Amino acid sequence: MADTPRPGPPPAQLLRRLRRGLFSSHLDTLITVVLAVVCGSGLWSLLHWALLQADWAVVQDNIRLYFNGNFPVSQIWRSWSWLGLLGVLCILTLMPSRLLPPAMVRLLPLFWVLILPIGLLLLAAGLGFEPVKSRFWGGLQLSLLLTLGTILMALPLGVLLALARRSSLPLLRWLTTGYIELMRGMPLIAVLFFGQLMIPLFLPEGWTFSRVLRAVLSLGFFMAAYMAEDVRGGLQSIPRTQLEAARSLGLSPLLTVALVELPQALRTALPALANQCVASLQNTSLLAYLGLIELLGISRSILANPDYLGRHLEVYLWLALVYWAVCILMTSLARRVERSLKVSDHH
Amino acid sequence: MAVFTTHHPLINEPDSLSPEDTLVSKRPAWRRKLLPILLQAGIGLLVLGAIALLLSNLQINLLRRGLELSFDWLGRPARFPLSRGLLPYQTEDSYAWAFAVGFANSLQVVVVGLILATMLGVIGGAASFSSNWLLRKLATLYVAVARNVPPLLHLLFWYVAVFLGFPAARGSVDALASWLRLPISVEFMALLIGLTVYTGAYIAEVVRGGINSVPRGQWEAARSLGFGEGRTLRLIILPQALRAILPGLNSQYINLAKNSTLAIAVGYSDIFSIANTTFNQTGRAIEAFVLLLGGFLAVNLLISGVMNLLNRLVLQRG
Amino acid sequence: MASSTAPSSQPVSGDQPGDRLSAVPELAVRSQGLDKIFPNGFQALRKVDLAVGKGEVVVIMGPSGSGKSTLIRTFNGLETIQGGHLEVLGYHLDADNNQKVVGKIRRHVGMVFQSFNLFPHLSILENVTLAPVWVQKRDRQTVKKDALALLDHVGIREQAYKYPSQLSGGQQQRVAIARALALSPQLMLFDEPTSALDPEKVKEVLETIRALAAEGMTMVVVTHEVGFAREVADRVVFMDEGMIVEEASPQTFFTDPKEERSQLFLSRIL
Ligand SMILES: Nc1ncnc2c1ncn2[C@@H]1O[C@H](COP(=O)(O)OP(=O)(O)O)[C@@H](O)[C@H]1O
Ligand SMILES: [Mg+2]
Repeated sequence: MADTPRPGPPPAQLLRRLRRGLFSSHLDTLITVVLAVVCGSGLWSLLHWALLQADWAVVQDNIRLYFNGNFPVSQIWRSWSWLGLLGVLCILTLMPSRLLPPAMVRLLPLFWVLILPIGLLLLAAGLGFEPVKSRFWGGLQLSLLLTLGTILMALPLGVLLALARRSSLPLLRWLTTGYIELMRGMPLIAVLFFGQLMIPLFLPEGWTFSRVLRAVLSLGFFMAAYMAEDVRGGLQSIPRTQLEAARSLGLSPLLTVALVELPQALRTALPALANQCVASLQNTSLLAYLGLIELLGISRSILANPDYLGRHLEVYLWLALVYWAVCILMTSLARRVERSLKVSDHH
Repeated sequence: MAVFTTHHPLINEPDSLSPEDTLVSKRPAWRRKLLPILLQAGIGLLVLGAIALLLSNLQINLLRRGLELSFDWLGRPARFPLSRGLLPYQTEDSYAWAFAVGFANSLQVVVVGLILATMLGVIGGAASFSSNWLLRKLATLYVAVARNVPPLLHLLFWYVAVFLGFPAARGSVDALASWLRLPISVEFMALLIGLTVYTGAYIAEVVRGGINSVPRGQWEAARSLGFGEGRTLRLIILPQALRAILPGLNSQYINLAKNSTLAIAVGYSDIFSIANTTFNQTGRAIEAFVLLLGGFLAVNLLISGVMNLLNRLVLQRG
Repeated sequence: MASSTAPSSQPVSGDQPGDRLSAVPELAVRSQGLDKIFPNGFQALRKVDLAVGKGEVVVIMGPSGSGKSTLIRTFNGLETIQGGHLEVLGYHLDADNNQKVVGKIRRHVGMVFQSFNLFPHLSILENVTLAPVWVQKRDRQTVKKDALALLDHVGIREQAYKYPSQLSGGQQQRVAIARALALSPQLMLFDEPTSALDPEKVKEVLETIRALAAEGMTMVVVTHEVGFAREVADRVVFMDEGMIVEEASPQTFFTDPKEERSQLFLSRIL
């Protein structure tokens, strides 16, 4: 498909390209025409609906609910400032690193770890302000909080599980293999159901913790199994000669893992791990059915309001747009990290 | 002059030899093997202890609620209604039968979903190699949109926004049902289409990766033999790509099976929704959970078994 | 090197008094009746007797699969031995290598591989400083200074901040040598260090090894570079089928090999 630019005035060239890309044979022409008609009419009716028939008030009037949930209005600046901080962090990460001071670039991973405790402080305890119970957290903010919490829990746990799965101790190996396979064989909703409804059964009387924490724990234990497999794949892709080189230099087994194996394994596993992070966000939507009012949950309660009777299509399209945007943002963050690591790897 | 050694003298003097090192092995081998054994015993005791603690808590909690572990209740009438399915069911039927109906319903949507998602995915993946610009762009757009929206939202979109929102869509499902003489419900269709569209996008990616793994020379060889685009793909490229595609397909199939439990959002009576309703009615959390896990173990083994068989067939031929 | 403070080899219980090997003082490597049997039952080394004196350069030659790599890999504990007696820098290695002893040996024995085996995720400088910082626990700044000096000597100072994949094979192998030297080893093991290189890069690596030999470094080099062996080696050891077939000075070995198998081998490579 090498485009050899042929001489000729630009319009002629364009025509030639059009012909080659769209009408190169009869079948091709047929496909193009059918697709164009179908897409065109689909797009037309969508636009017609979106501009003339849809009533977007259900979205416009409730922006605050979608983003901040039921957070008390007087305290809402706390919620917005956390979302703002998160946004700034995303922008800083996505910016070309030569525009940033080197110290900042080096601290970025730390900021990403700190953003969760900062969020908890801002949202819950409020740094000396009025405490806000976790049941008032909601909307996109809760979805993001759950996602971040899941990732920060699942990643280290996944690494430990991956290492334990190839341990020289058979018992440890069997236990982790069993755990990983059990988790990966179960549907997520069953794990969440277990976490929300059954964990209390296994705890002593009087021990409770909040729904949000229970959700993060279940999501984290679930995702860790998947991440463990990705990390294990990365570990397996390291040639054995790397380990021999490390051992020849006198590195202890622990140092070999920490300095030689894991850095390489995590690099290899990065694209897969990024996919798991996107999945983590999508997974939070299930909690709408377990009593949390994250983005989908709050939308369900908005749709239950008689004022917005039958406005499902508007709400679902809006939600799809928001989820899509956040997923794309997460993917590009991962690409950015991947690229910055690649610079040091291959050229 | 000793170029290499003068610049960095040994900081550590060579470790002085302790008698322990010079003797071949002062510590017998069994003592070196003792540590791992002790370590494992420790881990084993820790895990057993934790499990015992949790189970004793469970025992106490269940006793307090008067719910000792048992499966006797399975024989009692379930008394909850189910959506129309393949197997006949009335509210007087037992819980056990309700679980069987749920399992059959799950299997039904999984099997049909696998077939449709595979078709959609192969078309989507192959389309991204088409010479037709519009087709290529549409395939990319489909994957980019479908993958980045949670599966639950896919289901809700089809169920609430399409089938409940447009009477015409509902009518066509009923028409299809009477034409095929199958008990096809709107809930089934919504779940099926949602799962198909979501999983299809992932399968398209798997297929695209598989096709990419076939060397470019194969395309050129086929074209120089006079094959058209479609036939090159069907006869030359896809058979070779299959080897790379099958393992990815396996995990997507299992994902589809697991995502079928999202049926709860559209009110389709799959095995998870039966387990959930059972728990709500009887409080039998553990028992319902065990039955659910058993069902899923069966489905996963079934899919993996079939895929392994396929894999073996492909490897044999290649 | 003669004033080296390395522990001298002492006779060990079980050795026969007046044994041939322990009569020689200051041995870097001393192996007697070495057997290596892989878990799959394959015997790669059969009763190998070899002594390497301090400051000596021994070249090992032999057809592919004759056990050369296996032999030198037992010297730093990458392979365990199943029989016989092995002493490296005065430390004993046995069937189930005592990790503490192996660790000590590895700090004083450098190894260079055929395929370089640099760490791809670390810069050239980090490759060289890794072990001194983490194994010897030396101060980062001095280690860095020493490492840069070493890289200077192997002629790749300018590449210190690049990554392995950005270097040519010859440069990578010289980094690998610098990395091994950074631990100030008393014994260097080379496993076909130039076999994976383009012909025009072979010279620069051999030059580096030659300079090292000139300083009196004790070395065991597996190589098929005859010119190098002639000039640098004190002794050539010829192996076949896991056994040492012939041991001679390079002069004798290349001009007048005794054994039929050596003659056959030499007729193929010369
Ligand atoms: N890990 C192993 N397991 C079984 N056999 C091995 C292993 N490593 C090497 N061998 C066998 O041992 C013999 C000697 O190998 P090696 O020392 O690498 O030969 P050389 O370096 O002389 O080419 C070969 O026949 C090889 O196949
Ligand atoms: Mg070899």
